[in-house]
Amino acid sequence: MAHVSIPMYWRTIPQRYRMVGQKCKKCGSVNFPPKGVCKYCNESSEFDEVNLSGKGTVHTFVLIGAGGAPPEFAEQEKAGGSYPVAIVELEEGPKIIGQIADADLKTVKIGMAVSTELRKIYNEEGVIRYGFKFVPQ
Amino acid sequence: MKKVAIVGAGQSRYGEFPDKGIKELFFEAYNDMIKSVDKGVDPKRIRAAYVGNLGSGGFQLGNMSALVSEFVGLPYIHTVRVENACASGGYAIVSAVMDVLSGAHDVVIAGGVEKMTDVSSIKQKYWLGVSGDTEYERLAGTTFAGLYALIAHRHMHQFGTKREHLSAVAVKNHKNGAQNPKAQFQKEITLEKAMKSPYVAYPLNLFDCCSTTDGASSVLICDAEIAKEFTDTPVYVAGFGTSSDYLAIHDRPDTVALEGTKRAGRQAYDMAGLTPRDIDLAEVHDCFTIAELLAYEDLEFCKKGEAGQFVEEGHTQIDGDKPVNASGGLKSKGHPIGSTGTGQAYEMFNQLRGTVQKPARQVKDVEVGLVHNVGGSGGTVSVSILRR
Repeated sequence: MAHVSIPMYWRTIPQRYRMVGQKCKKCGSVNFPPKGVCKYCNESSEFDEVNLSGKGTVHTFVLIGAGGAPPEFAEQEKAGGSYPVAIVELEEGPKIIGQIADADLKTVKIGMAVSTELRKIYNEEGVIRYGFKFVPQ
Repeated sequence: MKKVAIVGAGQSRYGEFPDKGIKELFFEAYNDMIKSVDKGVDPKRIRAAYVGNLGSGGFQLGNMSALVSEFVGLPYIHTVRVENACASGGYAIVSAVMDVLSGAHDVVIAGGVEKMTDVSSIKQKYWLGVSGDTEYERLAGTTFAGLYALIAHRHMHQFGTKREHLSAVAVKNHKNGAQNPKAQFQKEITLEKAMKSPYVAYPLNLFDCCSTTDGASSVLICDAEIAKEFTDTPVYVAGFGTSSDYLAIHDRPDTVALEGTKRAGRQAYDMAGLTPRDIDLAEVHDCFTIAELLAYEDLEFCKKGEAGQFVEEGHTQIDGDKPVNASGGLKSKGHPIGSTGTGQAYEMFNQLRGTVQKPARQVKDVEVGLVHNVGGSGGTVSVSILRR
């Protein structure tokens, strides 16, 4: 009962390992994660590939806890307690969701500066999934 | 243009029913609907059924609408399962209305059914989790409560909305639901109890969240020209609107509004030739308490950012000037996903005709009502305006 299947995960490796985004050739805005048509101008499907810096600020966050984690994250919650998930506004413009790691929960704030690191997300179907998490800057 | 009327509405009890599956639940709602038609209806007149359903754990994903239709004695009709996550029922109504408007059929059913308690809580979380953006939101470790918590936290940060405001929604809806014999939780809660429940997705606690529910509902929709064959007091569909949105919250320009609600609401108001001021009662999608606050703002009942104050001042109480969720809402009545939208229409049908089961829940002089159904965290939204 995988939620993000291995092939589905595999197809997104460039986004998850290197934060590869798309710079729209028409309006210049940066889409991340990738779209079929630019989400800013809705007019162009032509993009240049860009690697994002992974730096940004916390736009909003939630603390998942009290048994509220999805089943595949239950082990993480059991071992480490509540964990923060944030929407971060990246310096290139787009907002993206991800967990915040290595932070004292009391210090996590909206507006906090973060950067990105490659971390283990979870182990499912015998395959460890890696992806980016945010850490306080 | 043709006009469309609702001439009957039924709902099963909402709750946990180990002895009933989707067929039996749908039959309970269907029978209740047939009984509600004042002058009676020959089932042979019913030519189509649009049935909202998320998937009921995946046991009958294919052809489920044919199954529940033949079970209630409608084996040879045009029937479709309508799936737009938690807005499946609302879209079933709009699909049925469009069918009648097109002239294809003149008497049709819009229904919805969900069986949620047959599966383990782990499988339930799986089913509910797949209506958001699976690739990113799910892989970040969020649940649906987590997604609405992201919106709530930003709303609090941006507008000063308070924890008490969220809990006030829960307290109000439980108060209303206590008067609803078909609700899952027919008891009031205190503000203190609502405030003190454990955080499942801070800033949302357990009492900010609706439950998992079994249930079904069904409304009978027809060409307004023949409505009087069925009842002298039909309810008319004055307007409707729908809109999708970016599925992932991070993709949306505005985190603290559901653009789908704003657009669907605007379409419905414009079609009906009405304004938000004209709405006497609204049944809105309060899957989480913050969702009801967003609805006040996005449906233009109050200004952006002022929803917390709006509930605090009592405007949305049953005896307020803008009553919301007289049924108890999803919070107290329960949220059987596919049935929620048609269940709202069931409540509004009875409110408009003055036929709710208990007088304490009957809102006075309801001429115009609005029903609002949200799929997932806003990826799909439907709004319909009903009037006497």
